[in-house]
Amino acid sequence: MNINATPMNVSEMNDRELARAELTIARKYTDRFSWFMAIWWALNLTCWLSLWPLTLMGLLPLWAAFTIALFNVMLCYLPSHEAQHSNFAKSGDRLRWLNELIGYTSTIPMVLPFKIARLTHMEHHTHTNDPELDPDFGIKADNWVQAILTTIKRRQPGQPNSYGLTLAQLGDNPVVKRAGLEGLIQTLAFWVILSAFAWSGYAIEVALIWWLPRYVGTTYIGLMLSWAPHHPMTEQGRYRNTRYFKATFGNVVAMGMEHHIVHHLHPGIPLNWNGVAFEEMRPILEARGCRMEAF
Amino acid sequence: MIHKILTTIGPWGPLLFGVGFLAPLIAQIIERAGATPPLGLAPLMVGLIVGPALGLAAKLRGRWI
Repeated sequence: MNINATPMNVSEMNDRELARAELTIARKYTDRFSWFMAIWWALNLTCWLSLWPLTLMGLLPLWAAFTIALFNVMLCYLPSHEAQHSNFAKSGDRLRWLNELIGYTSTIPMVLPFKIARLTHMEHHTHTNDPELDPDFGIKADNWVQAILTTIKRRQPGQPNSYGLTLAQLGDNPVVKRAGLEGLIQTLAFWVILSAFAWSGYAIEVALIWWLPRYVGTTYIGLMLSWAPHHPMTEQGRYRNTRYFKATFGNVVAMGMEHHIVHHLHPGIPLNWNGVAFEEMRPILEARGCRMEAF
Repeated sequence: MIHKILTTIGPWGPLLFGVGFLAPLIAQIIERAGATPPLGLAPLMVGLIVGPALGLAAKLRGRWI
């Protein structure tokens, strides 16, 4: 459902008029509390947490726990992504605590520290497709198979950590230091918990609920959220660094990333309204020379 | 401090992973599969040989696979 959609003749508009028309559409969807994403967070996290007692007590078979956990990991990033952009509540708002709670807890299944995610994601927005400054540039690949192989290669012990490099580039300030400390504590906690479960006789359970789903799920997230919307990562600039792509397997499988260009143009629009905003903006985006492609 | 911890522990990550996680995982897979390790070794002994060996190899090669 779009709100107050109005026909427009973009061919007669100049740059300023196009920008104004785009902003008018964006404002209708910006800064609206997304119950959809909040419920997504609550259900997904609750589901993943419930796997632990159900599996350890033998009430859920391991194959089922692994399958569900895999979906949980794949689905855990996007609510945090909204929180990274403060889309649930801005700093100083009454519900700010909820924004931060969602940000911190949503990505527990994939062990992505919130503050590091927020800082590096803002760098991604500022420097999209910049080989030196975009922390997500490392996933650049000719096709999706190569993108998966590249992701696996980037995770090997000898490879540099792009998020660590970005934090180093951001300099020695209290916000970065705090993010680094939180990230270190959360990552160490993950490995300690993993080892504790393993040495307590639950190695297979913890491997199938957390370790393996995390590995596979984050690969999928990288493919859909980093590679697909920005491929081939050769162009920079507001209207060319991200594309609209028609996913042959559907936008749900693509995790809503068909309309990722709207997110880059207007990050304050929650994910579930990117599609309707895109359809309203489509003539403007076409006039701007945005890429409309298929995957 | 963070940098020091990362540069101290980080390079040994694969070996720590081999001891802390792979060793018990291998042992428990052997036990659940009902397999009998060679040379009269206990499943945990196999895990403690194979897990750290894989971790050390990953550290030296700079890659797991």
